[in-house]
Amino acid sequence: MIKLVDIYKSFGSHDIHKGISCEIKKGGITVLIGPSGTGKSVLLKLMMGLLKPDSGNVFIDGEDITLASYSRLLEIRKKFGFLFQNAALFDSMTVFENVAFPLREHTDYDDTKIAGIVEHKLSVVGLSDVNSKFPSELSGGMRKRVGLARSLTLEPDIMLYDEPTTGLDPIMTDVVDDLIYDTQHQLNITSVVVSHDIKSVFKIADNVIMVYQGKVVFAGSTRDLGSTDNQYVVQFLSGIKDGPIKVY
Amino acid sequence: MNASKEMFIIRFFNSIGATTLSLFEVAGEMSILFVSTVKCVITKKIRYKLTMKQIEFIGIKSVPIVVLTGGFTGMVFGIQTYVGFKDFGAESMSGSLVTLAMVTELGPVLTGLMVAARVGSSIAAELGTMKVTEQIDALDAMGINTLDYLVAPRLVAAAIVFPMLNVICIMFGLMGGYAVNVLFLGVNSVEYIDQSVLYVGFIDLFNSLVKAFVFGLVIVVVACYKGLNTRLGAEGVGKSTTQSVVISCVLILLFDYIITTFLVSI
Ligand SMILES: Nc1ncnc2c1ncn2[C@@H]1O[C@H](COP(=O)(O)OP(=O)(O)OP(=O)(O)O)[C@@H](O)[C@H]1O
Ligand SMILES: [Mg+2]
Repeated sequence: MIKLVDIYKSFGSHDIHKGISCEIKKGGITVLIGPSGTGKSVLLKLMMGLLKPDSGNVFIDGEDITLASYSRLLEIRKKFGFLFQNAALFDSMTVFENVAFPLREHTDYDDTKIAGIVEHKLSVVGLSDVNSKFPSELSGGMRKRVGLARSLTLEPDIMLYDEPTTGLDPIMTDVVDDLIYDTQHQLNITSVVVSHDIKSVFKIADNVIMVYQGKVVFAGSTRDLGSTDNQYVVQFLSGIKDGPIKVY
Repeated sequence: MNASKEMFIIRFFNSIGATTLSLFEVAGEMSILFVSTVKCVITKKIRYKLTMKQIEFIGIKSVPIVVLTGGFTGMVFGIQTYVGFKDFGAESMSGSLVTLAMVTELGPVLTGLMVAARVGSSIAAELGTMKVTEQIDALDAMGINTLDYLVAPRLVAAAIVFPMLNVICIMFGLMGGYAVNVLFLGVNSVEYIDQSVLYVGFIDLFNSLVKAFVFGLVIVVVACYKGLNTRLGAEGVGKSTTQSVVISCVLILLFDYIITTFLVSI
């Protein structure tokens, strides 16, 4: 369970979050939507303590991580898998080493077992014959999928996906959506997905949270999302530039 | 008129104050980085593979530049002192001076400065790039202690390798001085060597190694600090790289003075 209480966060004079409170229940997929630049990526980083809020609290399974020491934080983060928006692969390592990295660091599996897991995770995201390639030799979408494979290797309790399908073709989008859905249901974990893809939202989400201008403007189930008359949601789903969400 | 003058004075002192404060802040943060990393080295398992890689990079690959620097400095110094001492008919004294200078000052300082340029810049650039492409965040997100993973291997490698590089630098410096004086300028070989060992004791060599050791730590701490605190963007990486070389060079000269003062007084 993830609970955010009255989060404020700014970078310099730029206020990003102005009092965000929300709760993400254990189990199920929660999708985070909102216009570009509203701080969704920052919110995910706050959830696992990669950034600290200026004020407010972040609870993970009841523990306030804003008060945790660095070593405790490292410990807590082992519960998480995080897919970065830009994949954040280690560019000095091959694809294989990237995916094997969390296993090498946090388990004492032998090389054959690790190779088996890596092979499997890569095939699940539709990649083969890329083991010895370096991240710079991959396309953007391939990199993202390697990142996805890497974040899933340790089978974490909580998965945070930052735009897992952005930059993928429609078919691969469907594959990744299924992967997120299956991972959720096989392991019964908690998933938080940042997505701009409305079709995916309706396909995989149990709950949806929408943020805009530093506040939560909608939080509810996917069914509520379709039937709400919340003007922010209506405008965002229909993708029209006129409405309460100001583009200019 | 008067008001703007006042404003100028206020701003002037403001900026001095701010610079001084940030100087202390940076020094403090670097010290914390150093102490925390040393703690990691002591309490955590040493990462042999990464450390070996750094030993190769910082140490073995620095040998050519250290050899060149040491050799040419010894040769030039040999000529200069020969010319100076020749007027007094004491050409072989050149040996004492070359040895004394190479061992006590030129060896460690030149090694430090040359390797700061080669290694400090590259560490800062590597970590800086990792920072701006979120690879450091990725390590953090996986629950990996970045000091233990990134800084500790480099620090341990530098601590091992710098004294050795210093010895190499000194050796080639002495050989350069000897070559110039004995082979080219016709100084008597036995006299030259006699003079060389006359004024330099083991304690000088030990002090020299201490200096090199400290310079190595300084270079790695500064470069890692600058790399890990890189501001976003390619420009940030460039800045970190330059600053890390400038700062570590200045600190090497400063520490050289401090250590020398300290060692001379005991
Ligand atoms: N490390 C940082 N330093 C300074 N500003 C930052 C930093 N990270 C994010 N920001 C700022 O915070 C704001 C929110 O960024 P964030 O990446 O969270 O947006 P987002 O909602 O994920 O957008 P997108 O949908 O385009 O990915 C942006 O205006 C960005 O400039
Ligand atoms: Mg984002």
